[in-house]
Formats: sequence, structure tokens, C-alpha cells
Amino acid sequence: MSTNLESRSPATDGTPAPRKILPSLVTGQEGVLIGIIAVLWILLGLLTPAFLTSGSILPLLVAVAPIALIGVGMTFIIITAGIDVSVAAAIMVTAVITSQTMVATGIPLIPAVLLSIGVGALLGLVNGLLVAYGKIHAIIITFGTANVFQFIGLRFFGSSTVNGLPDTFDVFGRGEAGRTLGIPHSFAITLLVVAVAWWYLRHAASGRHLFAIGGNENAARLAGIKVKPLVLMTYVITGALVGLAACFFIGQGTSTLEQSVGAGRELLVIAAVVIGGTSILGGRGTVFGTLLGAILVQTVTSGVTQLGWPSQLSDLFVGVAIIAAVGTDILRERSRRKS
Amino acid sequence: MTTTALKNNEVGHRQENLGYRAVRMLLTQRIALLGLLIVVVLAIMTSLDFAGALSGSYDADYLAAALISAVPLAMLGLAQLMVILSGRGGIDLSVGAMVSLCGIVFGYSYGIWDLGLFPAILITAVAGVLCGALNGFLVAYMGFPPLIATLATFYALKSLALIVSGQKPISTLQIQDFFSAAQSVEIPVIGHSLPDVPLGIFTFLIPTALLAWVLLNRTTFGRRLYALGTNDVAAIWAGVDTRANRMLAYVLSGLISGLVAIVIVAQFASARPDAGVSGNGLALPAITIAVLGGVAITGGIGRVSGILLATLLIVWLNAGILLAFAGNEGTQLQLLALGLLLIGASLLNNVTRKKFGVLH
Repeated sequence: MSTNLESRSPATDGTPAPRKILPSLVTGQEGVLIGIIAVLWILLGLLTPAFLTSGSILPLLVAVAPIALIGVGMTFIIITAGIDVSVAAAIMVTAVITSQTMVATGIPLIPAVLLSIGVGALLGLVNGLLVAYGKIHAIIITFGTANVFQFIGLRFFGSSTVNGLPDTFDVFGRGEAGRTLGIPHSFAITLLVVAVAWWYLRHAASGRHLFAIGGNENAARLAGIKVKPLVLMTYVITGALVGLAACFFIGQGTSTLEQSVGAGRELLVIAAVVIGGTSILGGRGTVFGTLLGAILVQTVTSGVTQLGWPSQLSDLFVGVAIIAAVGTDILRERSRRKS
Repeated sequence: MTTTALKNNEVGHRQENLGYRAVRMLLTQRIALLGLLIVVVLAIMTSLDFAGALSGSYDADYLAAALISAVPLAMLGLAQLMVILSGRGGIDLSVGAMVSLCGIVFGYSYGIWDLGLFPAILITAVAGVLCGALNGFLVAYMGFPPLIATLATFYALKSLALIVSGQKPISTLQIQDFFSAAQSVEIPVIGHSLPDVPLGIFTFLIPTALLAWVLLNRTTFGRRLYALGTNDVAAIWAGVDTRANRMLAYVLSGLISGLVAIVIVAQFASARPDAGVSGNGLALPAITIAVLGGVAITGGIGRVSGILLATLLIVWLNAGILLAFAGNEGTQLQLLALGLLLIGASLLNNVTRKKFGVLH
């Protein structure tokens, strides 16, 4: 199927050669983002000498990691023209279950991470089943499950915080334990996931199918693509990544887990994805762009704090960044269609 | 697909007995279903009350007092109705941020600059219209997907509200006295035998609902909104200025958010910069109300009466849950109820569409 699509046999009967299926390695949006991030980093470096030091950049990368990680799953979902606004609530559920288990039993790192990923995947499965097989618009379903997840999370919390967390997840944290050779583990893991996801979306047959589903679900189904299992998969993957990201959040926090863990992250993740050039209408997007989007958002947030401006200003810049990024994307699409 | 629809129709005609017709009405007329659910909730809660399982009495006075939370909820539900009707993925995530910012505007103009109540309300409404116009411009004229445009303005306006106010709530004497606008009053003429009803119902909710109903059902704007929400391209060919009409839907959403801001300032006796975005914010409950009220997320379908009944259902159910479960458990169960209702309602919408075609 996909080999058919990708092979570019010269047209023998005089018809034009098929349009190329694979996008260029770096899309326009990614180039723009790299430029903006470079300009911002240089400006911040000039204005606050402390910015371009490892004491400032490394925490930034650690903070980017969970957002970009969930962003990878969200990119998959949005490419299929879906959306998941329940990730914030899912972070809360996975974080509270994992940390309560760690406090109660003191399980070591690997089982704790696997538990977190498992719980996250289970929540993603609920979303995926309802979206793929219930045939309901994804935003409605995930608004609904967000409420249900929040209920579950708060029930686990009882009415207090989780106290006395062990230092198991310090390997994902900001401190010395979170780095090897100066590279934060959480960011390295995120880079690895981004790389695998990039390869999958670009070169695996089912990865290309996700774009087909987002472009035209009906056409994709008629072309023999198993739409429902693939859509289900995107939500399960997102859930699993939420589970892993929850470990990062716990590792970045203190020894107390607050009930507000994850709050508001769903919109931040979606912001990172759309700033990264993924079309909310489906059918177009890259995980590399999402990583850049997450870095841009985090740069703005840390930059505002380091300049000594009121931290609430960062949200204003995030809003402006979304409008600017999507606006240039829309204009580029328009001019491409005209030419 | 077509054949099954035909078969269903045939079966329907053959078994046109009372039970079948009742089921069909409940599924196709969202108002009928919501009405039934409200009756069920009231019946269950009242019987629990008689059995002594509630921590307070679930009577008419309690139900009337609970309506205070229906005012902002229903009004924002109407705001979502306007934008979701306009189609092409219409949605407004920024209502909470607009409420926060407009609340601060009202706090300044009424509480600090002391311009008088009506000029202050006017200024706040204009602020809402401007915020809505920004959304409308981005969506209708720039071609932004509504989810993205309103996500961006959500961030920007939320931040503006915090910065303009210096993160401090405004609660000067005027604002504190304004609390009287949120009190309950006796309904004139027939009121002495009925429980007192929150004033906001008459001053804000009923005028907004009436205006929304007239706009949607008795003006060309309303019919055009349904048209372009149902089929954008067809509306263009029919000569509808889809851009201007779609923009107007977002402007109205902003205007309603501005009015809600005043209601919320009155309820808290304070203009808080995070009034609309703290906790889950206001957008999520408003969208839930809209979907529960039978508004199709794809646009073109939805009614004012559905929004009002869905609000009553949620508000009275929540009020009952608070009496049945003490403390934290009650507020947590409200989340569960909201989530399950939303998922249930949308699954039901699907069944209806498959079995009977359109939902009314």
C-alpha cells in the first residue's frame, strides 16, 4: 500500500508524476521557529547575562520535557483531526496513583514508571474507545472524561496532598541527580521519543495513515486504512506519554504532591503543538515542530521571569505567539494555494 | 446506510404505538428529555429528603436559592450556543478570560472611578464587545480555527486581567454594596406565595435569554447564523455575508461575557482578576451546558430553550448532590455527574442521529 504510494515510478503514459508524499525534512514553520527561538535566546542573553548559562538553560529544558512529551502524543491526535483536552486531569490521576504507591510501598524507579505509564495508557484507552468507536467529536468526549478523571484523581487525593514522597524520581528532576554528563535525563528521554515519533510519522506506513485519516477520514477508510484502531492507538500513546510525563512532574516538584498538579497543562500542550505548525484541522504536522513550540513557550515563560517582569505577562506572550505562529501558517497556506 | 434508514422508518411506521412515539420524542426532542431528567432528579432528591438522607431540606426555597449559580452558567451557555451554531468548529474557550477582564473593567469604572452604575455597565459591555470582536475578527476574517483563536485570546486576556489589576481584587465600598444586586427578591404580584428568587434572574438572565431567542428566531441574523452553521458554502452562494454574521456571533459571546462579569462581581462583592479562570474556569461548564442542551458541535443545530433546561438540570442536580454528600465528596461527585452527563448526552445524540435523523 504505502510502498505503492512512495515509489515514484516515472509516468509512462504521459500523466504527470504523482505529487511527492513525504514533506521536506524541515518545514517552513520549523525554520521560522528555530529563527525566533535563536533571536529570543540571543536577546535574553544580552539583556540578562545569566540566561545563556547552564544554570538557566538546563532547568528550561527540564521544564520543556513533560510538555513536549505529551505534545508528541497530542500531535498524533491532532494530525488525525482529533484533540484531547483531558490530559491535565490525566496527569493528576497518574501522578497521584503513582506517588501514593511509592509512598505506601516504596517501589523502585522502573516499576514506578511502568505503573505510571500503565495507568496513563488505561485513561487514554477510555478516551480512544469513546472517540474511535463512540463516533463522538473528540473535544466533547475529552471534556467529559476530563471531569471524570478529575473526580477519580481527587478521590485518590482524599482531601489532602501526598506527603513525604521518596526521591525515586529525582533522576527526572532539576538537580544534580537528574543529569548525566550535564544533560538532563528527562530532556534526553523526550528527545529520544521525539526522534522515534518523527521517524514513525515520516516513514512507517501506519504513520502516514494518520495523516490520511486527518486529511479525509472517509477517503482513508475507503482506501483500506483501519481508521478506528489507529485513532484508538493515538489516544493510548498520548495516555502512556502522559504517564511518563507525570513522573517528570513529580521529579521536578517537592516532596509534596499538590492537588493542582497538571492544572492548565492541556492548553499549554495544545499551544505548543499548534505553534509547532500542526494544523488543528488535521492532516498536517510534525513532532519536531511541537518540540520547538514547547521550547518557545518555555523560553517566553522563563524569559519573562528572568527579566524581572510580572510572571503573568508570559501568558500574554503565549497568546500572541499562538496568533503569530498560526497566522503566518495561514498566510503561507494561502499564498501556496494561490501559486 | 440508506437502506437501514429506510428499514428503520418502515419499522417505525408499523409500530407507531404510544411507547414508541414517546421514546422517539424523548430522543429527538432534547427539551422533552431534559424536562424528564429534571423531573427525575427532583423526584429522587425529594424522596431522599423525605427519607431523611439529606443534610438539609431539598424544598422550593432551596431550589430557588440554587438558581443564583444558574445565572452565569446559562448566560455563558447562550454565548456558546451563538458561536457553536456558527459552525466550522465554532467554540469559545476565552469566555472565562473575558469575564475576568470585563470584571476588572467594571471594578475600575464603578468601584474606583465611580462613574455610576449604568455608565459602568455600558463600559463593561463595550469591553466585552471589543474582546468578542477580536475573536470574531481572527475567526471570521483571518480564517483562524476557532479553537486556536480563542485559546490564544484566553491566554492573552487572562494575563491582561491579572496585570491591569495588579493581581489584586477590587472591593471598594461601592463594589461591596453592589452585592445587593445578587440578593433574592420576591416576585411581584404573585410572589408572596412563592419562594424568593435571585434578582439576577430578572435583571440579567431573562433579558439575555429573550434577546438571544429573538435574535435567533425572529431576525435575519439568526436565520443566517443557522444557515452558515449548517453549510458554509451554501450560505455563501445564497448571498449571506458569512464573515460578518460569523463575527457577530463571537461579538455577542463577548457581550454576554461582559454582562456575566457584572453578575459575578455582584455575587462575590468583589472584582477578582481570576474570577473566570480559577479552577476549571467558566468555558468548560458553559460548553457542557451547550452540548447537554442539544447543540450540535458541528454547528447549525441548537435552541435557547435547550440551554435553559440543561442549566436547570445541572444546577438542581448539583444542589442535590451537595445535600446528599457532605464536604469534599459532594463537590467531587459534581465533577463525575457533569462528565457522565456530557458523555451520555453526546452518545445519545449519536443514537438519535442514526435512528431518527436530525435532533431538534
